[in-house]
Amino acid sequence: MALPIAGLIIGLLIGISFPITVPVEYAKFMSVALLASLDSVFGGLRAGIEEKFDNTIFITGFFTNALLAAGLVYIGDRLGIDLYYVAMLAFGLRVFQNLAIIRRYFLKK
Amino acid sequence: MKGDDILLPIKQGQLAIALVCVVLGIMLAVQFRTTQDIKSSIPYQRVEDLSQRLSQTEKERDALVNQIQELKRTSGVEAASKEFERIKMGAGVVAVEGPGIIVTIDDSKRPSKPGENPNLYLIHDDDILKVINELWAAGAEAISINEQRLIASSEIRCAGPTLSVNNARYSPPYEVRVIGEPTTLENALKMRGGVIETLQFWGIQVTIKTQEVVNVPAFKGTFRFEFAKPSQEGGR
Repeated sequence: MALPIAGLIIGLLIGISFPITVPVEYAKFMSVALLASLDSVFGGLRAGIEEKFDNTIFITGFFTNALLAAGLVYIGDRLGIDLYYVAMLAFGLRVFQNLAIIRRYFLKK
Repeated sequence: MKGDDILLPIKQGQLAIALVCVVLGIMLAVQFRTTQDIKSSIPYQRVEDLSQRLSQTEKERDALVNQIQELKRTSGVEAASKEFERIKMGAGVVAVEGPGIIVTIDDSKRPSKPGENPNLYLIHDDDILKVINELWAAGAEAISINEQRLIASSEIRCAGPTLSVNNARYSPPYEVRVIGEPTTLENALKMRGGVIETLQFWGIQVTIKTQEVVNVPAFKGTFRFEFAKPSQEGGR
């Protein structure tokens, strides 16, 4: 558990020290991508606990999920369908589900 | 490996998860900053709302101005007529028409040479002032700049890249409508060594059009006298 947390802290430090900002009109896509990656990380943690972890699936899932989510929201924006909320709901549900499973493993131990 | 992780027994993929966590951390930090930026700036919707309210208020104002003019027209005693009309024309609160010229002034299309001040090729407030001054001297009876009637208290002033007339801002081209003897006005401007010759030296485009009927709009603002009041002696 120490390594992922260290990675997260390093990432946060890099993000804070580099003055990167996303234009306001793209902030929506960024938030969806963020939630998708959050989902991937929790999914990865869960798989790691369950000993079903597959490196390729995890890495590709992380990037494709984030990009696909942002892309879908963009297309929805163009078509006038608010896919933003759909993506938020789907990823949010999965994040909570994964968290619950991780918690159960933690308690069982 | 099994016993040394106290928190969670993650058996596989620690490195991959850590790597992805780096990316996630960067995204989190960026998103934090972006959200803060959005909160600190005026929300877009608010801007839209304000501009809509502004246009509505402007419409209301125009309607009220029309009402004022309507009331003025109907309430005036029939006999007040001629002198009153003349004074109103002098003050510029009525639209007038008559023979005159329309002068259009636009920025220079000529590119400024390197090392030269590009300001020389732009129209400035004092250029317009010179033109207006020449026109008054040539006996102009009414002048407007881009729909703004020039009255006694009108200012012609530089406002950044625009020109402020009666506190309304305009960018080039400027259209100056003048009522008066057309040939006199035209000759006053085209005089050798006169205003237009100087302006054209810098490539500023000035065109003069003589017209039988030139419409000069009325002054749309209000008169405000905060400090001045009619003095007792002296009469009128």
